[in-house]
Amino acid sequence: MTVDAIITADVLDVASKPTVRPRRRQARTWRLALSLLLPSLLCLAAFTYLPVVRVVIDALYATPHGGSGTRFVGLENFARVLADSAFRTAAWNNLLYAVGTIFPSVTLALAFALALWRSTRFNAVVRTVLFFPSLVPLVAAASLFFFIFLPGVGLLDYYLGKLGLEGFNWIGDSDVALWSIVGLTVWKNAGYYMIFYIAGLQNVPRDQIEAATVDGANAVQRLWYVILPALWPTTAFVVTIALIQVLTAVDHVVVLTKGGPSNATNLLLFYIFQEAHENFDAGKAAAATALSVAALLAVSLGCLRAMDSGARHEA
Amino acid sequence: MHVFPAQTINPSSRSKRGIFAGNGSRLTAKRVLASLGMTGLAAATALVVASSAAWAQTKIDFFFPVPVEGKLAREMTRLVKQFNDSQKDVEVTAVYTGSYDDTKLKAQAAAKAGKPPAVVLMSANFNVDLKIAGDIVSLEPMLAAEGTTREKFLADFWPALHANATVDGELYGVPFQNSTPLLYYNKEHFKQAGLDPDKPPRTWAEFVDAAIKLTKRDGEKVERYGFMMPGTYDYLGWLMSALSMSNGGRYFNEDYGGEVYYDTPSMLGAARLVEDMIHKHKVMPAGVVEAGGVSTSFFAGKASMVMLSTGSLSFIRDNMKAPYNVAFVPRNVRNAVPIGGASLVMFKGQTEDSRRAGWKFVRWLSSPEILGGWSRFTGYFAPRRSAYELAEMKTFIGQHPDAKVALDQLAYAQPWFATYQTVAVRKALEDEIQAVMNGKKKAEQAVKDAQRKADELLRPYVDQTALKLP
Amino acid sequence: MRLDRHIAPALLVAAMTAVSTVWAAPFLWTLMASFRPDSFGAAGMASLLPDFAPTLANFRLALESGDFGLYYLNTTIVVIGILGVQLVTISLAGYAFARLRFPGRDFLFYAFLLQLMLVPPALIVPNLRTIVDLGLYDSLAGVMAPYFASAFGTFLMRQAFLGIPRDFEEAAAIDGAPWWAIVWHVLLPMARPALVAFAIVSVTAHWNEFLWPLMVINDPANHTLTIGLATFTRGAEGAKEWGVLAAGTLLVMAPLAITFVAFQRRFVESFVFSGIKG
Repeated sequence: MTVDAIITADVLDVASKPTVRPRRRQARTWRLALSLLLPSLLCLAAFTYLPVVRVVIDALYATPHGGSGTRFVGLENFARVLADSAFRTAAWNNLLYAVGTIFPSVTLALAFALALWRSTRFNAVVRTVLFFPSLVPLVAAASLFFFIFLPGVGLLDYYLGKLGLEGFNWIGDSDVALWSIVGLTVWKNAGYYMIFYIAGLQNVPRDQIEAATVDGANAVQRLWYVILPALWPTTAFVVTIALIQVLTAVDHVVVLTKGGPSNATNLLLFYIFQEAHENFDAGKAAAATALSVAALLAVSLGCLRAMDSGARHEA
Repeated sequence: MHVFPAQTINPSSRSKRGIFAGNGSRLTAKRVLASLGMTGLAAATALVVASSAAWAQTKIDFFFPVPVEGKLAREMTRLVKQFNDSQKDVEVTAVYTGSYDDTKLKAQAAAKAGKPPAVVLMSANFNVDLKIAGDIVSLEPMLAAEGTTREKFLADFWPALHANATVDGELYGVPFQNSTPLLYYNKEHFKQAGLDPDKPPRTWAEFVDAAIKLTKRDGEKVERYGFMMPGTYDYLGWLMSALSMSNGGRYFNEDYGGEVYYDTPSMLGAARLVEDMIHKHKVMPAGVVEAGGVSTSFFAGKASMVMLSTGSLSFIRDNMKAPYNVAFVPRNVRNAVPIGGASLVMFKGQTEDSRRAGWKFVRWLSSPEILGGWSRFTGYFAPRRSAYELAEMKTFIGQHPDAKVALDQLAYAQPWFATYQTVAVRKALEDEIQAVMNGKKKAEQAVKDAQRKADELLRPYVDQTALKLP
Repeated sequence: MRLDRHIAPALLVAAMTAVSTVWAAPFLWTLMASFRPDSFGAAGMASLLPDFAPTLANFRLALESGDFGLYYLNTTIVVIGILGVQLVTISLAGYAFARLRFPGRDFLFYAFLLQLMLVPPALIVPNLRTIVDLGLYDSLAGVMAPYFASAFGTFLMRQAFLGIPRDFEEAAAIDGAPWWAIVWHVLLPMARPALVAFAIVSVTAHWNEFLWPLMVINDPANHTLTIGLATFTRGAEGAKEWGVLAAGTLLVMAPLAITFVAFQRRFVESFVFSGIKG
């Protein structure tokens, strides 16, 4: 599918009157469109395009820490980033983190929504409890989880101990730390995504479900053949926001681990952050930013396109 | 300016809505309110007085991190208010800026954006890097204006602090709060383990022996660890330098920012000590524990000895229920610990007025009285020797023997590591030691890999300096 | 079949009770810790049972460490300011992309989407420079400005508008209504669910944001909740006041939590997600 899939081609120009000649009509539409987009475009220009241009330029120059002036180096910064094992670790961690967070939190969100979409008093309470984590700032949540993850005396180990189990050094063991961060993120986000699924479920056509039931479809079949396809646009939406979140929200890494131990929880944004602000390597940070943004752009465009085609099928 | 609808955010229309404007607006609002509240001459006088005071005053920003806990932020805010009330020329806005790292990030970002803070309380080993980056100014002109010299100015400060205060032979930072690592131990646990609570371990041999005796096990499971220390970035590098220094090492070249000594017998010994305590003697938990976890475990009686900063002294004194005491960091070859803490630096890009105002504030904050008070409040030691000559300070030291131990250890203090790319070079070691703590690497391999990584990071500087030959 | 009908709901209730217990555990602990007198690390401080005489000392300390009334006000201004401007920009842009045909539309649409990835924290220094150039440094407007346009919201509104049948508009257009009247009276009311969905995303995101406000704001009079909270979450040398931290966290989340509890039913149910459904 191409761009045409995203911009639905069958749009009519409703605002215009048939008496106006096409040429002038076109010019008028163009002016109207531009003035509608202008407020957004100005803001984007200042806070998105300008920084991007700066990043791309920075990525092509070396600004040696303490050296005099900058010097054009072409793609050297990109080569240095790709050669940096910490960058490769961060990219790999981010992939694990993305898959490890998005899949369980979206699945749980769907399961919660299916279990709770009827509005009873009990369900209302449970929904509220599940949604609460998204009301806590990530910085604060991370500080609370600091205690939860404390080896020996923390909440997790305390109750695991009561069950006769031994916990881990949750954020201090390089094999476990990333998964602890994943756990925190799933806890924080699953209830948030659930809200969108509950809303989406209100739109699943009841008659189709009933028809399927009459035809002898069991619960799993109903879910698979009727409910899930109807929820497809919601899923695309949820996956898109989840994707943005896993790449752009790293407060918990900053608070809990600073990417450690031994880079085991280093994620791309935090890596960029370190290169820019701890290591004074603007060129490398810029190159890493450019690479991650390009990757992210490709993935999320895919998601949005899926979302769009879903919407078109429905319409 | 034309980017936004003017009525929404026009910074020049300050009085319209106070929230949209910066510093100046509150004064304006206050004046307006004042004039509404009063009448005639009274109002006019108030207006004139208020505005003339505002004109004469130099306003500067002071960025500070909160080193231990929220209580200190409140105390710092109180101090700044005291300064503002004590004179009329300078008004300081105290800006709380998060952790040490957040503070550096915010100060540098603000400077790059053209809004440098006048004075910042900055982790002392960032000074070299900040100077190389051209962010902070030499304080020599200020000294000259006072008719003094660096030597005279620094004479009152503890000798171990001089190296971190100066960069390339010029004064860049005025020490404000300083610390060294310290061994804290639970006296009750010592008694239970048959150790003398008044004779803490002095050597590594006694230290390991005590840790083994103090560790309490229930089969395979450890109920109580003999020893714990923070293993997170920043803290770990500092403690490893303490251990390698106690092992006769140097960690870094004090006179030249392009060399660190990781792949050396002294560091290898330190790394092996950690490795053995975790994996051989099993008296220390595997993996990394953050400082908050270490102090919480100490309070909860889950760790008998911990190595933490002297900066945590007041916090531990206030909250530790069981009897405890403190001791020097144990030695293998000699007693030696690195300095830590923060100093006051001044950022580039100030007007002449704000530079003078900033220096005035720095001088006030670093007076013996203020330093002494802050030291008693926090547990940091005061960087000026004369602070300890004050009567309050003498009483305090008399009442708190733990503070006395921390002070005595100062005689063995060494400068804090500071190199080109300090953070990255430090992290090169920390990543490897963390791998040792997690049982992923042997100490021998770890120090070799750390050295290789550090040398790579230092190369651009080395090429420009020591290896730049005619 | 019969058995199924009775047991399945019971199982479901049991399962959801278990899940919500796990989910609530961190909050229960926060609640306990905030009232626990000894909050630095007594052996039993992980316990979720109230085995102590409750104290308000932690709340007092938390409230003393900052002007929470001011923080609430500032955060509310930021959140509402951002959302208010966003609703205008995304409705206009969404309409343009959904209903108008003009050259360069595809290109512009992609250009919008670029913003999805470029959150201010990733571009702190260049964005801060822009904020200073605009004279917005150290002001709440500076915290808000980068978020005034929203690619995500624009996309959402475009979806919502595309999902609305054209018959309504055509009828209105024939009656001679101008485009803005159509948007206001026809499209926006029908796109309400999408607006609500976007509002949730926007409000929770900005209520909880930390790093960007920390960079922009100096003046204590402009501090937001998360910066105030950071006073006790971001200590550097290893001391943790767990009780105060817990109390502070509760204070930060209270307004949103109360709002959510109060409007939960209406909120979830009225929020038929046609913006996505199309």
